[in-house]
Amino acid sequence: MTDHGRDQDRIEEQARRRSALRRSMLWDVEMLTRRELLRRGGRVTLGVGAAGALFASGFQIGSAQEASPAAGATQLPQITSIPETLKGSGEVVVVSYGGAFQDAQREAYFKPFEQLSGIKVIEAEGPDTAKVKAMVDTGNVGWDVAEFDRSDVINLSELGDYWEKMDYSLFDTANIDNERLHELAVDMLAYSWILAYRTDVFTEAPQGWKDFWDTEKFPGPRTMTAGSGGLSPNLEFALIADGVAPGELYPIDIDRAFESLDGIRESVVKFWEAGAVPAQMLTDREAVLGVAWNGRIAAVQAQGAPVDIQWNEGMLTTDTWAVPKGAKNKENAMKFAAFITRPEPQARLSMLIPYGFVNKEAAELIPPDRLAILPTAPELLGKQFIRDVEWWSENNDDVAERWNEWILG
Amino acid sequence: MSATTHAFAPRPGERAAQAARFARLRRGVQLRYVLLALPAVAFLAVFYGYPVAAMLLRAFNDPAWGTENFRPLTTLTRDIDVFGFSVPGNAYLRVFGITLQIAIVTTLATLLLAYPVAYVLAAIRPSRANLLMILVLIPFWTSILVRSYAWMVLLGREGTINRVLMGLGILDEPAKLLNTRLAVYVGMIHILLPFMILPLYAVMRGIDRNLLRAAENLGGRPWDVFRRVFLPLSLPGIGAGCLLVFILALGFYITPALLGGQRDVMISVLIAQQVTLIKWGFASALALVLLLVALVIYVVFSRILGVERLYGGTRA
Repeated sequence: MTDHGRDQDRIEEQARRRSALRRSMLWDVEMLTRRELLRRGGRVTLGVGAAGALFASGFQIGSAQEASPAAGATQLPQITSIPETLKGSGEVVVVSYGGAFQDAQREAYFKPFEQLSGIKVIEAEGPDTAKVKAMVDTGNVGWDVAEFDRSDVINLSELGDYWEKMDYSLFDTANIDNERLHELAVDMLAYSWILAYRTDVFTEAPQGWKDFWDTEKFPGPRTMTAGSGGLSPNLEFALIADGVAPGELYPIDIDRAFESLDGIRESVVKFWEAGAVPAQMLTDREAVLGVAWNGRIAAVQAQGAPVDIQWNEGMLTTDTWAVPKGAKNKENAMKFAAFITRPEPQARLSMLIPYGFVNKEAAELIPPDRLAILPTAPELLGKQFIRDVEWWSENNDDVAERWNEWILG
Repeated sequence: MSATTHAFAPRPGERAAQAARFARLRRGVQLRYVLLALPAVAFLAVFYGYPVAAMLLRAFNDPAWGTENFRPLTTLTRDIDVFGFSVPGNAYLRVFGITLQIAIVTTLATLLLAYPVAYVLAAIRPSRANLLMILVLIPFWTSILVRSYAWMVLLGREGTINRVLMGLGILDEPAKLLNTRLAVYVGMIHILLPFMILPLYAVMRGIDRNLLRAAENLGGRPWDVFRRVFLPLSLPGIGAGCLLVFILALGFYITPALLGGQRDVMISVLIAQQVTLIKWGFASALALVLLLVALVIYVVFSRILGVERLYGGTRA
């Protein structure tokens, strides 16, 4: 075959992959309600390629598929028994973010929990503290346990008695750091806000946010997070680009951060509210640099998009699970939360989707090559800083107001 | 009534009795109408009226009684641009301005595109019109989300439109189409077009073609016949269509969020933001203002264009 012919083949191959990716994104988007899409779409759609393909192929072992982030997940750690204290009866209503993400949670958490505890898991989608407030206010609490950003849990707790205290007597906390265990919520899933870039545009990788802000050395359209849609704008990254050390970000100098954002604004084609957006923009070359969630990027990488992650100066954060006040199946909700913090379920989820675990014993159950791409991998951990959830819960309102002024300015 | 009394010329006592009987009859008829409408009214009151009222009340009592929730709207922080004029305002008023502008432009553009289509549909044989109507309705049945994403694919930097233009040598490098106000308009017009075509078509179908022939017989040139006969008769359709499209456009959420650029923030995005921040009082205040704007525009439109004729009213 001539060189030309090979080029042609490669181009066709790329086009084919891109259209497959687009199809899967559309499919995923349809699974969402518009609110969920705009709020947290990103983590919902993560791993369409990874987890989705896996489910579709029925967990065939040793398939000839290209190496995907989920390749190691063909052999999930099995769970054979649980402590008597976690067994029970009845049901528990679990709320997560739908789509392929919840598919993975079903395999990792829900199915083994149902089998071993005798408690039936009823799934719902679209966690939202505004909904929790409405449910508790009207005395009609339909959710038992749901996944949130902890700043949202804290915000609502300041308005009144909206959450049940976590019952840690059921938990095996031997291998979980104390900072993960909060009075009203338990951390469960670590993920990272990272710099993602097109590898075919930049031969030399951008090293961090200074480079992201350097439009001469790294020219091209960018995408960053919006301050609306339940998200917080990238003030931390703006400060780092302006010379603040990652260890000295908090409390955030809001004025300085917005001034720094002024410097990049003209190159940002889109401030996204949906996590699906940056992944698609990078895939379509709508943007060549972007702020994204690591799981989203892993998913498009698995589909063949020439996109890579720069872990330097990434922002690590954790989703938490919390139980609304007056939940009808409070006991079962606590048992569920205690179960999914155990090493095996934690490891199962990390193998289905490249997100981190909070139970350190899970590391022993995950193959080394898989461990190395999780945001909590020791090597990657050192490159990132940790988002200060408390600061955000105190300043969410002010930043949102500032954002509205700034974005229209 | 007066004609009746003249014809029978009853004595004064009888007249009073008759009037009383008529009044009783009328009340009976009215009561029957009220009873017929009661189930629907009760349903709306319980499942729509009460929740909406309770929600709007929050504008005045959440977190405390007063007009505190309107303060961000009335505090003037800087000049904003309203249709080319610089007036004192703030970020929230500016978002209202942007929302109104997007809704108005979308409505007018939709009208310009829909009018000829409805005209053709009304002029051809019904069997053919039904066939063409399917083409209007198919996109109507597709999810807004999917259609918005489809526009992202078409308008993107490496999207279909840019590729074709570059392939033809018209462009050297991709034009910025996506994430612009233009993209918002294109997406919204596409989605709202059926809402304009359908009422226009319904009214135009009802226009008596003999009137047009009469006008031609009287020597009217085609343009005059259209301008002085057809267009005025189609006004209720224009009014209803514009109203529908305008009010739907005011509340658009996902299409501007996906296709728009940095400054294409619509009021619904702002309201959703306040709901997630659990500032429900302010969210209600914003919703109340939006509702009032929509109501004022509805009243003005129906006065000018006689929208109620579409629903069977008799006012010319």
